[in-house]
Amino acid sequence: MQRTKILDHIILLIGVFIMVAPVVVAFTTSTHEAADIHSNGLSLTWGGHFAETYETVFTRQGGFTGKVTGFNMMMNSMILGLGFAAGKIVLSMLAAYAIVYFRFPLATAAFWVIFTTLLLPLEVRILPSYEVMNTLKLTNTYTGLVVPLLASATGTFYFRQFFKSVPDELLEAARIDGAGPFKFFIDVLVPLSRTMMAAIFIIMFVYGWNQYLWPTLMTTDEGFFTLVRGIKQILLVWVGSNIPDYNEAFALAILAMLPPVMIVVIFQRWFIKGLTESDK
Amino acid sequence: MTAGTDLLPAPRGGTGTKTGRRRSSALRLFGTERSGETTVKRVQFSSPFLPYLFLAPQLAIIFVFFYWPSAQAIHSSFYLEDPFGFVSTFVGLSNYADVLKSTEYLGIARFTAIFTFLVTFFALSIGLLLAVKADGVIRGNAAYKTLLIWVYAIAPPVAGLMGMMFFDQHIGPIVKLAAWFGWDIKVGLDYFDTAFAMIVVSVWKQIPYNFIFFLSGLQGIPASVREAAALDCRSGLRRFWTVVLPLLAPTAFFLLIINVTYALFDTFGVIDVTVKDKAANNPITLVYKVYMDGFRGNDLGGSSAQSVILMIIVLLLTIFQFRFIERRVHYN
Amino acid sequence: MFKKISLAAVTFAFSATTALAANNITWWHGMAGRNGEVINEVAQKFNASQSACALTPVSKGTYEEALASGIAAFRSGEQPNILQVFDAGAATIINAKGAVIPAEDLITKAGYSFDRGAFIDGVRYFYADSEGKFVGMPFNSSAPIMYINDEALKKAGVEAPKTWEEFEAIAPKLKEAGYIPLVQSQLTWQFTENFFSRNNIQFATNNNGYDSVVDTKLKVTDPNLQMMFEKLKTWKDEGYFAFYGAGWNDNQKVFEEGKAAFWVGSSGSFGGLQKTAKMPFSATFLPYWGSIKGAGTNSFIGGAALFAMSGKSDEENKCVADFFQFLTSPEIQYFYHKATGYVAITKAAYELAQKDGYYKEKPVAEVGIKQLLLPAGEWSKGYRLGFYPQIREIMEREYGRIFSGETTVKDAFETIEKEGNELLARFAKTAG
Repeated sequence: MQRTKILDHIILLIGVFIMVAPVVVAFTTSTHEAADIHSNGLSLTWGGHFAETYETVFTRQGGFTGKVTGFNMMMNSMILGLGFAAGKIVLSMLAAYAIVYFRFPLATAAFWVIFTTLLLPLEVRILPSYEVMNTLKLTNTYTGLVVPLLASATGTFYFRQFFKSVPDELLEAARIDGAGPFKFFIDVLVPLSRTMMAAIFIIMFVYGWNQYLWPTLMTTDEGFFTLVRGIKQILLVWVGSNIPDYNEAFALAILAMLPPVMIVVIFQRWFIKGLTESDK
Repeated sequence: MTAGTDLLPAPRGGTGTKTGRRRSSALRLFGTERSGETTVKRVQFSSPFLPYLFLAPQLAIIFVFFYWPSAQAIHSSFYLEDPFGFVSTFVGLSNYADVLKSTEYLGIARFTAIFTFLVTFFALSIGLLLAVKADGVIRGNAAYKTLLIWVYAIAPPVAGLMGMMFFDQHIGPIVKLAAWFGWDIKVGLDYFDTAFAMIVVSVWKQIPYNFIFFLSGLQGIPASVREAAALDCRSGLRRFWTVVLPLLAPTAFFLLIINVTYALFDTFGVIDVTVKDKAANNPITLVYKVYMDGFRGNDLGGSSAQSVILMIIVLLLTIFQFRFIERRVHYN
Repeated sequence: MFKKISLAAVTFAFSATTALAANNITWWHGMAGRNGEVINEVAQKFNASQSACALTPVSKGTYEEALASGIAAFRSGEQPNILQVFDAGAATIINAKGAVIPAEDLITKAGYSFDRGAFIDGVRYFYADSEGKFVGMPFNSSAPIMYINDEALKKAGVEAPKTWEEFEAIAPKLKEAGYIPLVQSQLTWQFTENFFSRNNIQFATNNNGYDSVVDTKLKVTDPNLQMMFEKLKTWKDEGYFAFYGAGWNDNQKVFEEGKAAFWVGSSGSFGGLQKTAKMPFSATFLPYWGSIKGAGTNSFIGGAALFAMSGKSDEENKCVADFFQFLTSPEIQYFYHKATGYVAITKAAYELAQKDGYYKEKPVAEVGIKQLLLPAGEWSKGYRLGFYPQIREIMEREYGRIFSGETTVKDAFETIEKEGNELLARFAKTAG
């Protein structure tokens, strides 16, 4: 018994090491100078340029209009992340609920209509998508940035899986208590789905947080730059004429990881065991 | 009080009602009806309009922002047009023929299949392993979980860049390590080495994703079930195979589909960084070819045709998975 | 830094107020980092120099992302006034009849005179039509030049070669001295396209594609080009040439670390090299073959050009013309040249830089311009080939296979020519 516990810890530590080590290296590397990083690559040593690099990244007012600041970019990424995650949860839970818990003729068709969105990635339909946005006059707006991304099946698919695994006895019991579809959904299903909602929220938040291609195409106003865009701007230097400011890119990336950490910590509470029976 | 939203018991036999039998055989292919197993919910609401209300927002967005642009994208696969939209010539299926005739395309398709299999396999198994272990330990539980989940948030360009710096031909730490064992890794020059780097980075990126979902799936297994299983089955490994895994099956099936689509569609960022945006004679996947021809080469007709072909392949693959694998998934 | 912020704030405020009365024009480009900042500075200078026009540059990601954005915007009627398009994408935008207003037309219509001869020869023709009229306005241009590891030459006791024959003669000495004699970073731009230019050999039919889109065919199976690659392969086998794949940086690294004697890079590379090269370096022209008659002509440019999109009002077009004039003034050209390492495109700017003593400080910076100023040949003007990014991909693929031993030089070029011609035919059909 003891032996397996230690083995578990070893496996987990190895796992954590493999996953986290690159991030730690990114952090230590960010304290070096760009030319250094270019010549010597990643390093675990402390480069001593921590203060100036991070200060630059925070305070610089970049871009043509001066609107590209660390703060602005973070705000934009936040809006994309939160907006997308919240929107996805609402839309997909409702849709999955309808498909699983209601009997109506188009249920299967609706599921497959939604599911097919997984099969054609955004890059392929980006030109026509842009044209649609223009027709609807949604370029350079937050709505235009968030809403089209909601046209994807991941959330609905996931909740469908979960709802199908919820025991029918719950619904029968609720029915006996006199609950209709709304009450059942809000009082029984949603609390039950807390762990699932946490998982989806984190994933979708990060997805929105890290969006690059769509915002690049959709916006011309520098006030819409996100953190990822800022990072890419730093890295996109044609190697040859200049050294990309790797240190700033890494620093920005580290900073960009902080809010998602907060989100994960907040949702930690929801990753609790055994919610089903005890929660009524 | 609740008129019109009565609960209905599902029809006996589980194969669906008369309406079920009237459905086309095509729908049956989607595996929602099978003899013997009950997969339709045994109890459901039958409100006439509520489901449509709940579905409406999601469907509306999908129609406007997915189907409308996609229809146009598919439409352009039958044309040869200049990207600016001045000239458009209908060429029927010739874009498709051009694509399928090329030997290069078949080579890329072959690599894509191997790549998808390896990435899915490793990302799923490592993610599952870590989730099971994290779920099992009590001390340090929260720390492990936070650390393993949080890594998912790293910005893709940076993840890709670091992947490449780890594998840099001249100064990459992994390259130096492998050199001790006599393996001279040359990413960007040697086909196998490049494929290796691509797979490693793609798997690395996807592990936290699988970890999160497997973990939430494990958390959803009621304590009573675990205790009962622990009483019946001393061996942790047997308990895993006979109790935990079947209960995880809905999540696992979801992740299988998502990982396959990830490997097929979402990895082109990793590939782009690995080959330093020069496909040259490196391994690349089908979706990367779409990206190269459409986005970089501005060949709208050709890339649309390739996307449609890819979409059909994945659709068939998915139907296959739903039909043959989902039937083994126990939902209750 | 404080100065930068306040300058930006002042200019922003200034352009904000003038924007009320001024025509707003937008410029979508694909540059980032320091180059992007320089673009911002150029735009700010322009806005400060006059009040009728307010130029806003917008970075749209990479060159390809900028072009894709431009295309998407054009199809929706929301195109910018100016779009930066890279060399390999030139055919796409130029052959789309009606997408752009030729730069020369735009400028003369605004009442300015346009002197083609004011531009450096190597720069003039690439983005022009078959009559020499400027369609795109060259903006950031570079030339393929050869960088020299000064220590290596001293140690081996040799001089920098002008021709490949000379290189072959000194390579063994360099190898003995412990160096890799030759590395390079882009077999397509440097050893294919600019092989044709430096050795004055025809690249494609229809006058390298300038005369017509229909029926243009590649001529890459030219025996001279095959000879070049046979030589490269032999040199690799003998240890005179090392190949690290198609990635630019993978090959440059070796030179930076002081392990190679010669590296073929870009005229713009010296900025980065100054920070990373571990040894003193200089530069010379890309070698040519003495045995080829008429060789030694100028190379043609890489980089990108600015295109004036059509469908805009006359006032805005005048503003674009004003900006192009501003951009090609000697002072601004000199500024851009110094700030980025791209070559100055007008003779006047070059003279200004010379007078200012810039090249005494940085002799390397002059090599690219001098190579572009070499006498022109019949085939050193450039090329206009559709789907060229894809054709380059085919080349890179086949070159990789040559060096890994999977194919012979002859087969490789035959494949490139066959698949390339198919692409060209396809492109001709898309362009109507």
